[in-house]
Amino acid sequence: MPARNTSLRYGPVAQFLHWIIVLLLVIQVTLGTIADALPLGLERLVMMSRHKSLGITILAIALLRLGWRWFDAPPPPPMPRWQLLAARCNHWALYALLFALPLSGWLTSSAANRPVSWWGLVQLPDFVAPDAALKEVFEETHELLVNVLYALVALHVAAALKHQFFDRDGLLLRMLPGTRE
Amino acid sequence: MILRAFLVALFLSPTALAGTLQADQSAGRLEFSAIQAGAKFTGAFTRFRVALDFDPAHPGQGRLDVTVDVTSIDTQDPERDEVLRSADFFWVEKHPQAVFRAAGFERAGARWRAAGELTIRGVTQAVPVTFTLAPAASDGPAVMQGGTTLSRLAFGLGQRDWASTGWVGDAVDVRFELELRPTG
Repeated sequence: MPARNTSLRYGPVAQFLHWIIVLLLVIQVTLGTIADALPLGLERLVMMSRHKSLGITILAIALLRLGWRWFDAPPPPPMPRWQLLAARCNHWALYALLFALPLSGWLTSSAANRPVSWWGLVQLPDFVAPDAALKEVFEETHELLVNVLYALVALHVAAALKHQFFDRDGLLLRMLPGTRE
Repeated sequence: MILRAFLVALFLSPTALAGTLQADQSAGRLEFSAIQAGAKFTGAFTRFRVALDFDPAHPGQGRLDVTVDVTSIDTQDPERDEVLRSADFFWVEKHPQAVFRAAGFERAGARWRAAGELTIRGVTQAVPVTFTLAPAASDGPAVMQGGTTLSRLAFGLGQRDWASTGWVGDAVDVRFELELRPTG
């Protein structure tokens, strides 16, 4: 099986990068939501630290994915031009969030004087000095972007399901493993 | 350089360091750093007093007294400060001050060593502090720089969950830089 996309469907590399990010994002928003609701304490520190490490992991995978996309262009989707444009816009907005979410979280941590460690292995640099006012700005941005993510993911999923089950154009199968060409 | 400063103090201006010198937060910094969740952060105490009696000719008779208002702890993170002031760490309602007292200094290479006792959260432990002391030039301050490394758990800093060192390291580096001036 070729690693790259064909004219009709995504190849295994693009599929893997798509679905691993889906999986990690589900874990990530769950961790973040749980941690945010916890009272001050060790448990909150632990959950928040895992949230940060996973966020940096997702950022790295998003970079890989963008690189792969540049190397291996997506197959043109079978749909009217306006839908194609809408899909493109939403895809690029989702990519932008994959970068903006971890970066705003990282900046929040730095501004709060809580430097980020990646899984306890590497301490990441701080791009801003501790600053309470700046921390509020980054934190609110991070939370706003999560809500934007929910909205755009809902749109993305709804569109994929609409194509698959109402238009019956097989769109969803392009991103699923299988032998059908 | 330190040796020269020492000789200057000893032979040329023997009174430059004799007597009691003082400093507070307006003329110095008292900082600490520790590992939290795998990353090093730095905090400070913003209210403290230091008194030093030091005659290089008689270091054994020197004295160093430091009193720290631990409620002034500031890690530039209000949430962490709240936890640090709580009963799980400094328990500031019951123990608002930390005190370091040393009597007698000895040479430790290019530095001085003060084998003193540090009391935090009601627990007293022997703690060696090393420092350099640059004597006052004309009417400027004498500059004292030094530090030590503590075990936070030896002082009960970290009760219950926080006694684990997996997420908050036991070692705390303490550093100070003070501008000391004669009393009165």
